[in-house]
This record gives sequence, structure tokens and C-alpha cells, in this order.
Amino acid sequence: MRAMSEGNNQPPVLALHDVRKSYRDPDAVPLEVVRIKEFSLAAGEQAALVGRSGSGKSTLLNLVAGILTPDAGDIMVCGENISKLSEAKRDRFRAAHLGYVFQTFNLLQGFTALENVLLGRVFASGAGGDAHERATKLLQTVGLGERLHHKPRALSMGEQQRAAIARALMNAPHLMLADEPTANLDEPNGVAVLGLLQKACMENKCALLLVTHDPDVMRGFSRVVGLEELR
Amino acid sequence: MTVVNIVIKNMKQRGLATALTTFSVALGIALAAAILLIRNGVQSRFERAYAGYDLIIGAKGSPLQLTLNTVYHLDASTGNVSWQLYELLDLDKRVARAVPFAVGDNYKGHRIIGTIPEFLTEFEFGSGRKFGFSQGRAFRFSESALLEAFEEAAARAKAAREGKEPLKHDPHDHGDNVFEAVLGATAARATGLKIGDKFQAAHGVTDDGHEHDEQWEVVGILEPSGTAHDRAIFINLDSFYHIGGHETGGEKLHAGAKPEGGAQEMELGQISSIAVKMRAPPFLFMLKRQIDESPDAMAVVPSMEIAKLFSIIGNIDRVLLAQAILIVIVAGIAIAASIYNSINERRREIAILRALGARRATVFAIIVLEAALVCALGGALGLAGGHLLVAGAAGALQEASGFAVSALEFHKIELWLWLGCVILGVVSGLGPAARAYRTDVAQNLSPTT
Repeated sequence: MRAMSEGNNQPPVLALHDVRKSYRDPDAVPLEVVRIKEFSLAAGEQAALVGRSGSGKSTLLNLVAGILTPDAGDIMVCGENISKLSEAKRDRFRAAHLGYVFQTFNLLQGFTALENVLLGRVFASGAGGDAHERATKLLQTVGLGERLHHKPRALSMGEQQRAAIARALMNAPHLMLADEPTANLDEPNGVAVLGLLQKACMENKCALLLVTHDPDVMRGFSRVVGLEELR
Repeated sequence: MTVVNIVIKNMKQRGLATALTTFSVALGIALAAAILLIRNGVQSRFERAYAGYDLIIGAKGSPLQLTLNTVYHLDASTGNVSWQLYELLDLDKRVARAVPFAVGDNYKGHRIIGTIPEFLTEFEFGSGRKFGFSQGRAFRFSESALLEAFEEAAARAKAAREGKEPLKHDPHDHGDNVFEAVLGATAARATGLKIGDKFQAAHGVTDDGHEHDEQWEVVGILEPSGTAHDRAIFINLDSFYHIGGHETGGEKLHAGAKPEGGAQEMELGQISSIAVKMRAPPFLFMLKRQIDESPDAMAVVPSMEIAKLFSIIGNIDRVLLAQAILIVIVAGIAIAASIYNSINERRREIAILRALGARRATVFAIIVLEAALVCALGGALGLAGGHLLVAGAAGALQEASGFAVSALEFHKIELWLWLGCVILGVVSGLGPAARAYRTDVAQNLSPTT
């Protein structure tokens, strides 16, 4: 298992060992979508996982997030083997330690940008501090200081993704998962959002695992890993 | 931001559906509340009114009719009993107080009750409650004048029967007799009569009878008692028998009333009923049995008659209440259907909440809380609506029965009604919540869904 990145003595924030996940097709034939022998990500490290469409990139992120459970193997996040936790504990763990940015932003339409960011705090037990103040500050950081009370439909696609990034950072996560975060954005917006995401993760000392099939996005990462290489 | 904020946001997002389901719950609860409030209000006032009467004695007939006529000034008199019976009861050591009543006239639809002043000054019409005067005093009464009136009327009747020139009755010459009246609070307000005003009574218990020539002077106005007595006008019993022109042959004066509101005839020296307060409870059934064994009179225990009445009315309001509860249940089903259908549209939102760390149980609770809040809100609005309905019906109810039901009175049952409504909301939310609970997060987070 690759435990640490160069020059970093901290234990990995993410470590995968012999992780497998299969789905059954309509004929009940198992279809293996994820098979990873070893993978790790150090604290604060940023990596891009690349693979063709349907190669199991999103499934892998959902496994790391604890939304799905592997058929076999261990998924260690912040030293906790989340594949061994109950669903309720995985949910709590996700809220406390992980941020998740989606391709389709996944903001709640009935909530303002500020409320969407505050939502990140609702399910994280023990998260202290002034939530309102932090959410406002995060939105200001991503350039939405003037759009706090706008609902998603009043925001551009790029602004929606910025709000989603602010929401994902709300609980100061140790690991940020990003599922093709620029796929729905035009190029300038994509570049800006990616830059913002990487910068925000760096400033918040948060590791970033981004999955993409976009070569332009890959170029922004010093560490790019192909899913096929991990089998 | 809390889970409750999320629920309220969801409700606002589905504004129309939320408003309609809230309204349907409110409608059912308003009807149920109004029925319960009016029933309880009327029942408590009925009970308050008879509490001072241990026995009511009147002519044989319907015990309930006698009770309604004497205590609540409703229905017609069952007939008459003799003045001598009253005198016997007044002397009876088992009886703490006996009060005679004579009925049969009205003023502008307000029943006129001939009685003795002690009824207004000493008699406890309710448990420990005596009448109070907001203005003036009680009327005066003279037993000798009453007996004289009996004799005069008998003489006039005898002359008429023998075909002789009837003795002249001058309605304006009262001699030493007094014609005084005390008005119940509602009667005073409705008629506009004030202390010192004079009025003429009309024959019968409805305001379409002919007017008597005699005039009564208002000498007192009672404080509101919250009973049917508030609608009545009380006059001194002796003046009742000084009314001229009632003889229709034979030794009869009118008193009491036929069901259709016309006057019925009363033999001389007779009264409509007697209210009796016993010195001790054991004497009550002893006296009742004695009276019931007599050929002309019966004694009724008003509490028993009212209990019987409410057992009959209870069946009616149980049907009405069942209908109102049915409306609330249908509203609960509508809430379940509305939220259940919305879950399809909200799968993505549910998946997002789960991805943010919401547990399945939290999502379940959010949906149940939403249904419960709709019911809690609808229930609260319904209770307010119920009180408004009572306020709207109070005037008509008082007009019809004399019972002033207050819209500002609150009953413990309302709290139970509201809690029942919230529980209904919780139950209606269980189905949709179970559906939300089963939402596949990974599937609903993907862009294709």
C-alpha cells in the first residue's frame, strides 16, 4: 500500500486495499465495476483519477464516501475502515470528514446559496462554531459574497458549482471528493472552478480526489492515476 | 439551519399542496371543535342551571317537559298544580325552600314568570349561585293580595257562569296591588326596558298573542347568570292573578301555554310548577314518591331528566362528531397521498441530503415531521376556526335556548383533539417516509436521474 506521498510524513487520508464492487445486470450476471488493489492519498494531497465512461469512477467515489459498500476489501478514510461501519455511522462519518462535489452541482432548489451551504452543517454532529458566519465566509471566498440569498435557479452554472464547493468545505473535511466537477461547465468556467477547488482544498488542508475523463482537467494535477493501472 | 428548517422549506416549496391539505385538516377540526365546544358549553350551562333544584313538581305529564319548562323556560307547561300543594310543601320540614311559578304570558317573546321575590333574592338557582341585581331591586309580593286575587277572579268567573252582569275589572285600578317586574339581563338588553319603564304583557308564550291591559313597572334588572333565566321576565305572583279578561267561563284563568304557544286555562288557585330544595338528600326520593302517588301531580329530579336528554342528544352529536372526524381522516389520507406522490419528485433532494450525511432515519423523520406539521398547523387553525364558528352560532343559540355559549372558553378536549390530529399526521407520514427511507442514494445522485 502506498502510504505517503513524497515529503509528507502524515498517514494517508485515504487508503484502498483490494476493493471490489460488482453490480448484477438484469440477467443477474455479476458485472465488476470497481477493482482496486492498492491506492492511497496523503493528507492534503490532490490526485486525479481518470478512466473512460462507465469505468466505475463515480462508483469508486461513492464507495469512498460510504454511500456504497464494497463487496470485498478495505476502505480506510482518516484511519477508519468505513466499509466495516454501520450505515448510520458511515453517514455521520461522511458528514464530519468528507466533502463531495458533483458534476450536476446537486444544490437544493428551494434553498438559497447560503442555506445550501448551511445544509452541510445540519447533519454533522459536533461541528461547532458559528455556522452562519463560516458559510458566509466560504461563499465570499468562492466569489459569491453578493449572491448569498439567491436560489440556484438565479445562479449561473459556474456559480452553482462554486456554491457546491463552499457547501462541501463547510465542515472542514479531510478529504474532498469531486465527480467530474467541470463537466457541465464551459471552458473558462471549468478552469476557474477547478482552480478554485484546488486552491480551496489547499487552503483548508484538505486532500482532493477528483475523477475525470477530461485531459484538460488532468493537466491541472501533478498526480494522475488511471483506474486501469490500479487493478 | 436545522431539520425543522428543512421541513418548513419543503412545505413552502409545495405551497399549494401544503395549503390545501392544511385547509382540509382545519375544516374537519373546526367542525369537530365547534360541535364539542357547543355540546360542552350547553351541557355545562344546563347542569349549572338545574344544580339548585332538587325536585320540580308539576302536573302529571312529561317529566322532561316539566323540567325544560320550569328550569329552562322552554316547551309548554305540563298543566297546573294547586296552590295548596305549594303551601303544604312550604310548611314541610323536609323542604328547605319551595318556589311557585306561574307561566303563560310574554313580552316581545320573553317569557313572563310569576313567582315570589325569594326566588330572586334567596334561592340558589345553581350550585351556590344566587341572582344578583345589576340595577334596582326585587319586586314586592303579598300573599294576601294573591288570595284576594284568587277570590276576585272566582267571583268574576261565577258571575259569568250564572249569566249575571260580570264584575267590572278595571285594569288601571290596581288598588293596593303592585305590578312589578324584574328583567333577566338578556331580556333587558333585547327589550330595551329600563328601571321605571312600564310594559304590557301579551297572552301566550310567543309574541303573537293579544296584549293584556295591565302594565308592569320594571323595578330591577338581574346580572347575567349564563342560564335561560337571563331571557325571562319575572313578575310578582299576585300580579299574575290580577290580570283581567282571562276568564273563558268556569273558574279558570290562563296560565301555562299550549305547545303551539296559545294560552291554556288554569283553574283558580293553581300554579304551573313548584321548585323544591330539600334540607337533606335522603328526603328527596321520599317526597318524590309521595308526590308521584298523588293523582294530580308528579315530582321530577331535573338532573336525571337532563342526563336522559343528553343521552339522546349525545347520539346526535356523536354522529356529527363522527362526520367531522371522518373529514379529518380523509384529510390525513390526502396528506399521505400528496407527500407520497411528491417523494418521486424529491428522490434527488433526498439523495443529496443523504450524501451530505443525513441518515435514513433523519430522512424518515423529515417526511413524518412534514406530515405532522401540516396536521399540527391545520389542527391549530381548525381550533381557531371552531371558536369562530361558536362565536357565529352563539347569538342564534342564545336566542333559541337562552344559553350563552362563549367562544372564548377553552376545553381540555381541544388539546386532545389537536394531539389526535398531530398523531394522525404522524401516521399519514409513515408510508411516504418509508418510501423516502428506501431511496437509493447512488442512483439518484447520478446526472441521468
